Amino acid sequence: MNYLQMKLSALSPKQLVEIEACTRCGECLKYCPVYAQRDEEEIDPRGKIQAFKSFIRSQYGLWAKIFGPKKLDEEKLKKFSEMVYRCTLCGECSVSCPVSIDAKHLWTALRETLVEMGHFPEAAKRMKANILQTHNVSGDENEERVEWLEFLNELPDHQYQKEKAEVAFFVGCVASFFPLVQKIPLAFVEILNKAEVDFTLLGGEEWCCGFPLIGAGMKKEAEVLIQHNLEMVKEKGVKRVVFACPSCYHTWMEEYKTDIEIFHSTQFIKKLIDGGKIAFKEKKIKVTYHDPCDLGRASGVYEAPREILHAIPGVELVEMAENREQCKCCGGGGNLEMVDPELSAALAQEKINQIQATGADTVITACQQCVRTILTTARRKEIPINAMDITEFVLKNMA
Amino acid sequence: MRYALCALRIIKSMDKHLIFYIMFFPTVIFFFWGMGLHIGMWLEGNLKGAENAAKWEKFKIYIRRGWRGFWARPGWYIKILITEVIFHRKLFGQSFFRWLAHTLLVFGFVATFVVDMIKGFTTGYLVELSHSIPFFSFSREFETGAIRPFLDFFLEFFSFLILVGCVMALVRRLVIRPDQLLTEEEDMTTLLFILFLELSGFFIEGYRIAHYEVVQAHNYLANFTPASANNWISFGGYFLSQFLRDIKINANFLWYFHVVPSLIWFVYIPHSKLLHIFTSSMTVISDRQKELVK
Repeated sequence: MNYLQMKLSALSPKQLVEIEACTRCGECLKYCPVYAQRDEEEIDPRGKIQAFKSFIRSQYGLWAKIFGPKKLDEEKLKKFSEMVYRCTLCGECSVSCPVSIDAKHLWTALRETLVEMGHFPEAAKRMKANILQTHNVSGDENEERVEWLEFLNELPDHQYQKEKAEVAFFVGCVASFFPLVQKIPLAFVEILNKAEVDFTLLGGEEWCCGFPLIGAGMKKEAEVLIQHNLEMVKEKGVKRVVFACPSCYHTWMEEYKTDIEIFHSTQFIKKLIDGGKIAFKEKKIKVTYHDPCDLGRASGVYEAPREILHAIPGVELVEMAENREQCKCCGGGGNLEMVDPELSAALAQEKINQIQATGADTVITACQQCVRTILTTARRKEIPINAMDITEFVLKNMA
Repeated sequence: MRYALCALRIIKSMDKHLIFYIMFFPTVIFFFWGMGLHIGMWLEGNLKGAENAAKWEKFKIYIRRGWRGFWARPGWYIKILITEVIFHRKLFGQSFFRWLAHTLLVFGFVATFVVDMIKGFTTGYLVELSHSIPFFSFSREFETGAIRPFLDFFLEFFSFLILVGCVMALVRRLVIRPDQLLTEEEDMTTLLFILFLELSGFFIEGYRIAHYEVVQAHNYLANFTPASANNWISFGGYFLSQFLRDIKINANFLWYFHVVPSLIWFVYIPHSKLLHIFTSSMTVISDRQKELVK
């Protein structure tokens, strides 16, 4: 492999301008959850941009033009790769950046560059192999995607895998294969059923949406998954696709070129409430809401989940000190758990502290990965905390 | 040594306009060369829909897009340029002190540049032209007429804003020192450079006011801009002039003292953090364009 030249083709001209727009003011440091844990200059957004800038300068800068490009230092590249992959892609740095650098997309582009150079974590290699082979992130047989349906009280003959339907419920890998969060698709299927929505699952024909690959810097490999899912949805003649997973929802929004309407479960439930399809019984409870990064900051959905909670009589919503655009990541994003589980758990611990500070009985979120990350850390550390997805909460309180 | 002295004699005998342009044109070439290096690097990136295009083609695509985009909504772009770039609205919500320092610097530079251009163009060129083309005789108002005090005042005022902004930025870096702030050599070089340019500018203005004979002799930039009436219109210069009456300095030296660093600073922009004048403006505008897509 030739390391003499760092190719910049994974980045757009705009992103290369962004690299040079960073003045290293450090505003992002105040918000980066990873930096808050590790306190290393190289791990924060400013440090990563600075490191990449120095690589670029050594290859394309003034001295490189006069004396020729310098050979890239392998050790520095290795360190840089470690830092770039130790990020949850929460995007809070983008929100806080005074010059509006779209850092989240910049990090995935940097990861793409590192993948092109062969500098990426072993775990990402395994994940890629899993996804391309089994079409899901857990490496299980993809036919087992709907095994959770067995937990339903009544299962119709079509097993929710109809030939044609108005709506497709795209479950996502984590909710399909991780028992801790299989309650989420179960709850959502029941909600759709009660609201008499004509919906279908894709079953074994649902493939990973591509999000883990895109997040790992392997966007090209995700293309085959995207095309397959689009074909499957079109085959069923659906008009709308609904997601309980914010990452799948965001990936569809950004990467899937389709005219089909897409909704996150919170937006869809809100529509059902407004249409009188869902009614609630009273429930006296104090809850707080955690904004998943891919639903909030990445997709701009902040109000739908809150409006649902306000629609349930007796529910008192107390906000965390940092909410909406400033909501801290739970540690479950950006494949961080795969690369550095300890760091991911430290972020989850910080999140739990914020939740507990509200005095709420339960934390509601709208993401299976957030529920899983928070609950896993809470269980490991024996912290008594109730965390659930909004679909579970809605089902529990439906009249 | 003989050659050096000879060269010095030639330079001394040359018109300051000529010397200025002899220095100015290479400066502009070096500046654009520096910018070209960066633009060339940016265009190494992958432009969707034009993946195989050459850099020059990509450049043309961007220019076309920018041109069409601007003329589709000129009002919107001007508004964004003023509120988000020059007055940096986002920074206002994050730190008032930082915002004020930044805004004084940016607004000060933009405004000084505009006034300086008007002053330089009218008093330097149009007045000259008015001798052969009577139509341009209005430009004498800019040199010695009613408009001149306004030009002097605003140049002084906007330069003063830059000076205040620069001092605030230094105070933030050296005294307040917020936790996240990392002060590197480059930051200090840039700020001290600005400070020097401003102080030397005020000093020259003060010297010019204090020593009318320099103006009369058409020394240094005096033939571009003869000094105003010695009053508080040029408040900074006038204030300094009170202390400079008994001090004699070679006027030529003073001219080089301000002009040469100014030109070096211009060349320095693409190779320093000051490049963000252009890059950050692009990122901010690009971010706000999302509004248009919605």
